[in-house]
Amino acid sequence: MIIASRSRRTLWATLSTLLLTGTLSAAEPSPSELSVYPPDVRLNTLRDRQSLVIQARYPDGLTRDVTAQAKLTLANPALIKMEQNVLHPAADGKTEVTVEFGGLTQKIPVEVAAATADRPISFQLDVMPVFMRSGCNMGSCHGAARGKDGFRLSLFGFDPNGDHHRLTREISGRRINLALPHESLLVEKAIGSVPHSGGKRFEKDGELYNTLIRWLEAGAPPDAGEVPKVLSVELYPPGAVLDGQGTQQKLTVRAKYSDGTDRDVTSQALFLSSNDNSAVVSPDGIVEAQNRGEAFVMARFETHTVGSHFIVLPKGLQFTWPDVAANNYVDELIYNKLKKLRIQPSELCSDEAFLRRAYLDIAGTLPTVEEYSRFMQDSDPQKRDRLVDELLERKEFVEMWVMKWAELLQIRTTRQVSYKPMLRYYNWLQDKVANNVPMDKMVQELLASKGGTFSNAATNYYQTETATLKVAENVAQVFMGMRIQCAQCHNHPFDRWTMDDYYSFAAFFSQIGRKRGEDPREVIIFNSGGGEVKHPVGGRVMPPKFLGGATPDVAGKDRREVMAKWLASAENPYFAKNLANIVWAHFFGKGIINEVDDVRVSNPPVNPELLDELARRFTEYNYDFKKLVRDICTSRTYQLATQTNESNESDDRNFSHATLRRLRAEVLLDSITQVTDTKNKFRGLPLGARAVQIADGNTSTYFLKTFGRASRGSVCACEVKMEPNLSQALHLLNGDTVNSKIQQGKLIERRLNEKKTPQEIIDELYLRTLTRHPTDKEKAALESVLAGEKDPKPVLEDVFWALLNSREFSFNH
Amino acid sequence: MFSRPSRRDFLQVGFVGGLGLTLPQFLRIQEAQGAIKQYESKEGTAKSVIFIFMPGGMAHQETFDPKPYAPIEYRGPMNSIETNVPGTRLNEMLKQTAQVADKLAICRSMTHGEAAHERGTHNMFTGYRPSPALQFPSMGSVVTHEFPSKNNLPQYVCIPNQPNEYAGTGYLSSSYAPFSLGSDPASKGFTVKDLKLPGGVNDNRFTRRRTVLAAVNDHFAAKEKADSLDAVDSFYQRAYSMVSSQQAREAFNINAEPDKLRDEYGRNTAGARLLLARRLCEAGARFVTLTYGGWDMHDNINRGIRGQLPAFDQAFAALIRDLDRRGKLKDTLVCIASEFGRTPKINGNAGRDHWPKVFSVVLAGGGIKGGIVYGKSNSTASEPEEDALTVEDWATTIYKCLGITADKELMAPGDRPIEIVNGGKVRKPLLA
Repeated sequence: MIIASRSRRTLWATLSTLLLTGTLSAAEPSPSELSVYPPDVRLNTLRDRQSLVIQARYPDGLTRDVTAQAKLTLANPALIKMEQNVLHPAADGKTEVTVEFGGLTQKIPVEVAAATADRPISFQLDVMPVFMRSGCNMGSCHGAARGKDGFRLSLFGFDPNGDHHRLTREISGRRINLALPHESLLVEKAIGSVPHSGGKRFEKDGELYNTLIRWLEAGAPPDAGEVPKVLSVELYPPGAVLDGQGTQQKLTVRAKYSDGTDRDVTSQALFLSSNDNSAVVSPDGIVEAQNRGEAFVMARFETHTVGSHFIVLPKGLQFTWPDVAANNYVDELIYNKLKKLRIQPSELCSDEAFLRRAYLDIAGTLPTVEEYSRFMQDSDPQKRDRLVDELLERKEFVEMWVMKWAELLQIRTTRQVSYKPMLRYYNWLQDKVANNVPMDKMVQELLASKGGTFSNAATNYYQTETATLKVAENVAQVFMGMRIQCAQCHNHPFDRWTMDDYYSFAAFFSQIGRKRGEDPREVIIFNSGGGEVKHPVGGRVMPPKFLGGATPDVAGKDRREVMAKWLASAENPYFAKNLANIVWAHFFGKGIINEVDDVRVSNPPVNPELLDELARRFTEYNYDFKKLVRDICTSRTYQLATQTNESNESDDRNFSHATLRRLRAEVLLDSITQVTDTKNKFRGLPLGARAVQIADGNTSTYFLKTFGRASRGSVCACEVKMEPNLSQALHLLNGDTVNSKIQQGKLIERRLNEKKTPQEIIDELYLRTLTRHPTDKEKAALESVLAGEKDPKPVLEDVFWALLNSREFSFNH
Repeated sequence: MFSRPSRRDFLQVGFVGGLGLTLPQFLRIQEAQGAIKQYESKEGTAKSVIFIFMPGGMAHQETFDPKPYAPIEYRGPMNSIETNVPGTRLNEMLKQTAQVADKLAICRSMTHGEAAHERGTHNMFTGYRPSPALQFPSMGSVVTHEFPSKNNLPQYVCIPNQPNEYAGTGYLSSSYAPFSLGSDPASKGFTVKDLKLPGGVNDNRFTRRRTVLAAVNDHFAAKEKADSLDAVDSFYQRAYSMVSSQQAREAFNINAEPDKLRDEYGRNTAGARLLLARRLCEAGARFVTLTYGGWDMHDNINRGIRGQLPAFDQAFAALIRDLDRRGKLKDTLVCIASEFGRTPKINGNAGRDHWPKVFSVVLAGGGIKGGIVYGKSNSTASEPEEDALTVEDWATTIYKCLGITADKELMAPGDRPIEIVNGGKVRKPLLA
């Protein structure tokens, strides 16, 4: 069994042992691995405690929660009071817990300090988590911008001081009653003893209730001095494979603070399952398996959200791995996941299907009849790899990726960017991609660019968008795949980003100077050296800080240069992964994280090991993405058939089979143009140029617009629309694109003049459009249509029309 | 113990599992659990809506809320006239509209806080404040989601094109997108793009084409199964039924209207768009959106209003009279809206700037009470004075007339149930 290696912030602390002691009955399979979570216990002060979770893993990959069955022994019982799986401090010192189950043994260290001392109640550390856990500060309740029923809390607790003020000072004496804490409106509402629109949130005398009472009894104090920050939150176990509906797994959550302490916050964390259909999680952190599938179970505490990956299998599901070949690491990592899910990948696709797929994906064109014949007659077993290599050297490959980058960089004419600088900007990009400039270099040059929008066209990046916050959001979304917008107004509810993170990152873009160039259409972008971003709560000046990284020294430096150097480098853990994911999504229609620009803790990669490895290789290749494309396209996974088997028919996220993908607007138009032997004319391009080559997002045609070409008005991956609509169907049926092009290209007329038989012509039309010969059934059907007609030309035109209107033509499969 | 917050309390994130259930099945389970608010929409008093949008921000002072007694710098350069509803005055250019005022509900207390064009526009098309996290669907798309197609016509039509990105499907599937005419009904030789068979293709040949296409599609359909394939299929079916239904195609044929009526509406952009909208609604369209003019009059508002309002006045009054004569006013809701109003004081360029704090919208027919003025702005038309009408309440009232309960929840991506309108109330005084 392969154990997932995780590069997440949660510690993957599997302590495994293969020591087998004693004998086991034959009925009970013996576990191959025993894990105890957390991997160490540190108790500090009287109220501290730690719950343990013990998980056994079996040779077939299944896991079982054995917390209740395992035998726990303390080396020094005097130090610890043990209640079931919870450890409480008794006396200071160090000891060990020994855990035994199924013949396996594990030991974890335990340390107790200040065992008899109590810790003072803290508003931020103890009280604020109650509001989060009970849902008080959610957007639909008191967290709304205007509060609810006259009482407001900051959304997800982004403003603890404000919350303290509102509780204790606003409508003085109304919300809290220090003389009779139990009669404070705050707690009476929460336990539902007086009418509350939000209903009863927790029980009287429960832990949450007692926390509030303790705080009130202490005089509802604010926190004095520096409050320890939560540095990280750990959720255990990091994953599980559950055998059948009803199977349970306990969770435990531990927070680590900046003062070096930690706390068991299982009872204060908020649990969520991404897929209640497969795994539900109770408010106390017990996961219960439902239907077959995957779920990401999350715990949210303070501003941290952490997740654990659960797989649910039908009870006793029998499975044999078909032992298919792995072409490279892509396949190995995909297979690892499929094995866990007990899914067999589909068969390899046919040569015809591969040929069409590779041409459309890599070059954005269809194979010609000659290219078809050459490939089909080639008997070299390596011919697929060779085809990928060939296609990667074509200029159409470059053009495809220039277009994709132009979308990310929003290359288009706007009020601030006229046609000329836009064109120079596009040419700059084309130059980089065509010369295979390493992606990190290109991005660094772009983000640190200075000078005129004519003379150094990369600077147009800062003219396309001029608002500081929006620039920061765009950079995060395009180059790191993150939508940090939420954190503009409140801490991100389902990601780690706080308002501090947001405004500190925006501070990198606060010193962009702009002045008019000699040519009135040109703008000079320079480092103004002044200008700060302030936090909207309290107005603090925010020092520039990398998103999820360090606070660099920017004194006397161009902040953008500092940021660019970090952003497009291996130091930024998101950069390579994000680009690898974008490349992957192009070839599979779906990212490993999907959508590609929606990276967040609560939207985890379906195969983190694969994404990590792709990113690692991409970095190792010196950010040469051509090599990455090669790895992807030569993998068996890319070459799977769309047809499914019994085990993978319902899988749509683990790449166990190929999926149908519609051709994007540009490729569809170029393909229609190619197969009809016609030419298009677009603004700024010579007659016969392809739609993929259009520089300006604002240059469009009815066809391109109707089929969803990106206008590049935003950086969102959703700009490119692949969805069908009524106008598209009407246009292909009756519109001038298909009908006129068939006439203009005169292909059928020419072939008839060359004395080709209708059958030969039909065969060629099939090869041109669908990269295959007609089937016997199709031949017969078309034959019968031809039979009654004197003039074959209109019939053949109708066949051509039908092929261009067919689903098979407009989908990559 | 505390009760688990209900699903909708959270902005749920993540995915519906790759294995196990398809999304529709999953949603059915959700419904069965009663976790999301679900009601069946049943046709209400308004069988269709003509949504007239005045882009740019139409000045309320120079249209439906004149302030004849305000000081000149507030009153502006134009005069007002009496209407057939005693005591209600309109701008002097709205001569014909003044004579149908007894059919209208003029709302003078519309209010929101968005002074930027795109944000205000978002409000008025979706009923929501813009959010960085989610794209909301337009009212037209929601109507398409809630009701089936009638007489092979698309439920939601835009004349001539989808006017802005907020008039689209938002988080809903693309199958609820508007059908855009693609050309302006006022133009000479107007036809709807691609509705007619191309030259040289008669019905017989089209049938042959469909036969051949079916033969080609059969092979692929037998081999491949995918939702995306079905979606394309469904649009082809809709296209076929539109192309082959004389009645459906005829709905777009504005030339079939009598000359006299065309003259009554006016043979111009306003007249042609409004007349075609009526024709489409009569034929079975449920939500027709059209725009008229450009109302962003920062300079010389006098000239701007005099240039654009008369044609609109004629067309709009003709529409109301026409609907009334046909007995269709009772089930066609006509709405005039704009992204916001304009500043109380005339600015240095003799224009007015953006002002969302108070402005006017007009509703008529389809279950709306006629001959009323709803709400009031203060004496300088700068703030609502009575019955401030929020975007949510306005949208909820329109939905109510359509038969849609606006706090129904639709499923947004990431399994987030989102109310059609967030917390709106029906304004009963507006209803007949």
